[in-house]
Amino acid sequence: MSNPVTTDAAEKRGIVRQVVDFLVSEPADTYRLLFYVGLVGFISITLFPFYWLFILAVTPRGQLRNMGLVPEGFNPSVFLTVLQEYPLHHYIFNSIVIAGITVVICLVIGSLAGYAFGRVEFRGKGPLMLLLLLISYFPGITYLIPLFEMLSGTLTIGVFVTPDLYNTPWSMAFPFTMLSLPLTIFILTTFYSQIPDGLEDAARVEGTTRLGALFRVIIPLSAPGVATAAIIVFIGVYREFFFSFMMTDGQPDNWAVLVYGILNFQQQHTELWNLMAAASLIGILPVALLVILAQKHIVRGLTSGGLKE
Amino acid sequence: MGNVSLCDAFKRYDDIVAVNEMTLEIEDGEFLCLVGPSGCGKSTTLEMISGLTLPSDGTISIAGDDVTDDPPKDRDIAMVFQNIALFPHMDVYDNISFGLRLRDFERAEIDRRVEQAATIVKLDGMLDRSPKELSGGQQQRVGIARAIVREPAVFLMDEPLANLDAKLRVHMRTEIQRLQKELDITTVYVTHDQEEAMTMADRIAIIDQGVIQQCAPPLECYTRPANEFVATFIGSPSMNRFDGVVRDESIETEHLELALKPERGREYELGDEDGGRDVSVGVRPENVYLVSSDDEPASPSASFAAVVDVLEPVGDQTYAYVRPQSASAPPSTDGSLMGDATEQLLVSVDPDTSIGEDERIEVVFDREKVHVFDDASGDALTHGLVGPLPTDDAASSSEEVQGD
Repeated sequence: MSNPVTTDAAEKRGIVRQVVDFLVSEPADTYRLLFYVGLVGFISITLFPFYWLFILAVTPRGQLRNMGLVPEGFNPSVFLTVLQEYPLHHYIFNSIVIAGITVVICLVIGSLAGYAFGRVEFRGKGPLMLLLLLISYFPGITYLIPLFEMLSGTLTIGVFVTPDLYNTPWSMAFPFTMLSLPLTIFILTTFYSQIPDGLEDAARVEGTTRLGALFRVIIPLSAPGVATAAIIVFIGVYREFFFSFMMTDGQPDNWAVLVYGILNFQQQHTELWNLMAAASLIGILPVALLVILAQKHIVRGLTSGGLKE
Repeated sequence: MGNVSLCDAFKRYDDIVAVNEMTLEIEDGEFLCLVGPSGCGKSTTLEMISGLTLPSDGTISIAGDDVTDDPPKDRDIAMVFQNIALFPHMDVYDNISFGLRLRDFERAEIDRRVEQAATIVKLDGMLDRSPKELSGGQQQRVGIARAIVREPAVFLMDEPLANLDAKLRVHMRTEIQRLQKELDITTVYVTHDQEEAMTMADRIAIIDQGVIQQCAPPLECYTRPANEFVATFIGSPSMNRFDGVVRDESIETEHLELALKPERGREYELGDEDGGRDVSVGVRPENVYLVSSDDEPASPSASFAAVVDVLEPVGDQTYAYVRPQSASAPPSTDGSLMGDATEQLLVSVDPDTSIGEDERIEVVFDREKVHVFDDASGDALTHGLVGPLPTDDAASSSEEVQGD
């Protein structure tokens, strides 16, 4: 301290200095501190919508106008209301069925295509894969009108009329499959190509066909990849709104999905915000459960990308 | 019956010919080794027999049936792989019984056969383990058990021991040999290790660039190589070779002349028409002798001087790399430090022989064991520069050049 300073300034400077000294001298603690600051920030941003939904759901309807960060009242019965007075469970069931159908179709077709792309040499493989990925980058909405015509039985090709699939699960499973397949094929190709050739050869010599080797050896060994693809497709379909909105009339008996059901709380003159929020929270549960159960597989699938012999 | 025959089998990958019109007859119960340097087409040949690769042309038949276009599962074969290729998601029992389960065998029969196979390869009590928990040798034994449990007509083995450590390899080599004798199943064994081929096979097919160079019992390949490639490939360390020219009564090389003149009533096989032909002379290290040693051959060549370069004792013998010093050419004392390969001669000497590096020695060849190859084609012209004694039947094996 060569320069004379006032005591006040010295004290302030002292605190800053102390902090700086601490940060410089304890880099490990500094990094940890910054890590927690970042973590808390990230978690707050991610989880705040859920908190907000929860507050919204439990706030009694009359007090919604004054809603703030802390609940004005506490009315947990909305969670029962949405299931008892509204067919929320039916919407969720529809969503799960449609997502399930899409996952199965995607995995079957994607496995066959993934096998071809990943393990068979053929001419034009690179360009074909590129084309596939290119198409997957198109916004799905661009196909809406032809798809709607085709799936609602109004498209005539010569003497053939396309079947009327409006209000059936197939009218949604079909476009979802189409939109999810490129990604599925890409993921499965990566995984299947990593299974050593020797294993497939061994299976074939032991008595399987190429297809048999795919189902008996390659797919079981690519379980993390298959699980990853399945979950990505499932979540994608489960939360999809646009095609679901176009392809049904919104009745649960007509295969309307969860998001449509939630939208139905928005009636002509009233908006049942608290019920919507409660329904949203309940609707999240199946996917959350799925992800928790399959978390191990997803992490392995996305990071390690297969197994070594 | 498990004979295998390839007829003009041809395999082309884009513009590379992997196997070129290979014709090969493998008899029932025979142990045949396909051996050759990497990339010579031996694995492709095996894959064509297995059906994992289909030939571009030609036919393949197993047990008399034409299986050229059949998938592997319809060929009655079993295969052991270099990378072992056990299914990691199945335990040992499931691995061994995989083929049987696919063929809808009855449960009791599967159990019986798996038990039996496990006993044969000494894997009892390990059936519920996962392949990951086994050592390399045990894994390969599971691979072998998986192959024998189906009692196929033909065993195919693609370098099954290449991934094992040296000691285990020798052990497994004997086990596979014993097993093959016991089961008496036709076996085609691919290896790049000529020693493995020599020790195991009933017959060896030496392949180079997709063409069979020689297919004969191991010792015949060793003593009567069909051409220069076989001569240098079979045998470790490799055969010494020198360029030479056939003269009227001798083969002239840079350092010595090998007399062709008949001795004691013996005849040589190089005819007069060979005069002036460029040849390559080959002699194995154990057929070169020091003049000073006691065990001089019955018909030695003219001796010549050489300087010992490097000694490599391996225990039962010592390999001496020597530099020939010929009378005709001045001693090449100013030779390059690394030495010139063609200037070197490898001699196998008794480890008790007291020679030191840089010592000047006199060496002779055993003329009965000198091989002469045509320089242009590489084909063998003669094995041994002395013909058989007219009365000696035992030596009649060197009567004629091995044709191909």
